Amino acid sequence: MSLLLFLATLPSLYWAQPVRTAPALKGAGIERLCVPPESAAAWRDVGFTVVPLGERERSERTRLQVPGLRSRAEVASATVRPWVNANGWRFLRAPEGRYWGDVPAGKAALAAAEAFAYGADAVLAIDPADVESLGRMMAFLSSVPDRALPAARDIAVVDDGSPPVAEILNLMARRNLLFAVTRKEASDVALNVRLGSKEFPRKEAQNPESFALSVRRRLTDGRRSLRVYGSEVVLARLCRDAGRARLHLLNYGGRTIDGLRVRLLGRWVPEEVRVFGQGPTVPEELLAAEGATEFSLGLLGPYAVVDLRAAN
Amino acid sequence: MDRRTFLELLAAAPLAPAARAEILVPDYRIVSRYAPAPVPGMPGPWPGRVVSVRSARCLDEAGVVVDDVVREMLDRGMRALTGEATALGAWRRFFEPSDVVGIKVNAGGVPHVVSSPAIVAETCRQLMAVGVPPSQIVVFERFQNQLDGIGYPAHLPEGVEVYAAEGGNRRTENRAYDPETYVEVDFFGEEDTRSGMMRLVTRRLTKIVNIPNMKDHGAVGATGCLKNVAYGCFSNVARSHSRGQTHTRTSVGTFAAVEPLRSRCVLQIMDGLRAVWHGGPFAKTTRYVFHPRRMLVGTDPVAIDRLLLDIIDEKRRAEGAISIWDRSPKYLRFNDAGSRDSDPNVNILIREPGHVEYAGRLGLGVADLAQIRVEEIEA
Repeated sequence: MSLLLFLATLPSLYWAQPVRTAPALKGAGIERLCVPPESAAAWRDVGFTVVPLGERERSERTRLQVPGLRSRAEVASATVRPWVNANGWRFLRAPEGRYWGDVPAGKAALAAAEAFAYGADAVLAIDPADVESLGRMMAFLSSVPDRALPAARDIAVVDDGSPPVAEILNLMARRNLLFAVTRKEASDVALNVRLGSKEFPRKEAQNPESFALSVRRRLTDGRRSLRVYGSEVVLARLCRDAGRARLHLLNYGGRTIDGLRVRLLGRWVPEEVRVFGQGPTVPEELLAAEGATEFSLGLLGPYAVVDLRAAN
Repeated sequence: MDRRTFLELLAAAPLAPAARAEILVPDYRIVSRYAPAPVPGMPGPWPGRVVSVRSARCLDEAGVVVDDVVREMLDRGMRALTGEATALGAWRRFFEPSDVVGIKVNAGGVPHVVSSPAIVAETCRQLMAVGVPPSQIVVFERFQNQLDGIGYPAHLPEGVEVYAAEGGNRRTENRAYDPETYVEVDFFGEEDTRSGMMRLVTRRLTKIVNIPNMKDHGAVGATGCLKNVAYGCFSNVARSHSRGQTHTRTSVGTFAAVEPLRSRCVLQIMDGLRAVWHGGPFAKTTRYVFHPRRMLVGTDPVAIDRLLLDIIDEKRRAEGAISIWDRSPKYLRFNDAGSRDSDPNVNILIREPGHVEYAGRLGLGVADLAQIRVEEIEA
């Protein structure tokens, strides 16, 4: 089996532990692995679907950040916004990229969900303590039906390949600004961002956070296709066409959020709400007003998927 | 200046010079389907009127609240405010048996300066005397972990509910807030620009008794009636401060004026048995605790808070601390709560005591000292 096919829908687990750990993996429902080439046969012998992954391919893959919150002790305050480490911008910038994540304990489920939400070819090396939680997340991700939809975009960011653009993309993603990474300005977006243009001078990129804020304010909140209220640590991905939409919600905070509020521009009807760890659920307090649709979610762990259809 | 704000010049500023310059008013969007009452609770029927009740006996030698004295202070304050001959008559001016009454306490100064259980319990008893059943009385605050440090239930009549909207200040619990009643504003570029009003206030309570403390506050100068209901009934409010700056000059009054909060908050009982002159709104140590031994009773939160500004500022002056009106950057150590806690001449934000005057301009009460009538009572 080729790695590409193997990774077609779900992130993959890289497992360098000995074969005697097989029962733990099976107990977690994990039966597909990337493994060191020298142990591939042994894993196949105990019933796993495996893809050998050598040191060279591992090293060629782009390293991911550990998803989650980064504590900033030097500015500790109840009023300081949390700093989110996330990889969505990276996946959007290089959707055909191949990624590698060294994922410490407690982060495997979120890392898997993040890669899934962006359809990324990601291999995750996790802490063995996370096998059970990863298994539950993989089972959840497997239950989400395919829904191929284009990514929603309010902004086109012209990518010159430079590091400043990378950081701008990162901070725009953290603000839930929906953007496409393009080679030239796009005509079907509300705002084009080209670093070095009159509107976005290159020197402003020296402070990427304020740059991202200026992008947001030029777009205006009223024109944003997506808003999230009730948390600053939930990052969203919205995919849609004229008739359907899928919203991915990734909670990087490590704590369950109760009553997250979502606002989508346009009139939408939620059809299916799948919340990891919660089973089937329904959106709460659905409201259509001022050209937008709002609803709340109950308990949100690391990940949820909301499928919607356009209202007639 | 941020392009999303605009300057509003104060034509006449009776307050300190610092308040005279300019106000940056963010672009507030108020979303509420509630109409104001014919006579909104704030400022209520007695704008500009405050009854100040003092008693040296309200605390014993150990600093413990003496319940009987507190009862007498509240009784006399309510009768003086309303002109009624009896306490029952006074409380009937505000409440009827069908009301569902919330008692907004302040637990932020736990453990040393919080809304006194004795005052809260007496308020419950008076409500019950009017005919409000205990099942229709709710003592409430935003954070359960603060309430836990007080233990109100042991002091309250059986059946009175004690309620918190969130377990703690973790920004993960939104369910207790009404997604259809909120203030939307972008203070500093934060992503979550909404602050929702507690569902308890919008959907259950018909009246609110506000029982704040007398406390210094790092953002607003002094926190009393206005901030206790404004920041105590809305979610996601700490975002109004950032890196030494705060928008509380305009936000406190703006939040307090949102319906139905403004109409339902009908009675203000400021607990000044104990108070905090620095480091507020917290009171984790007794270092900055003092004992005014008084209560301020009225329906006008602005008038009471205007008096409070002077109470806190005078105490700070007596202690050799900088004024709450001081805006000098030389005293500013933003995000350095440790320095603030150890040094009364350190601010973590430029304080905005002008929030009281601003709330007056929003119609919440009278901020001009010359127009505030204080009736002094010695109990």
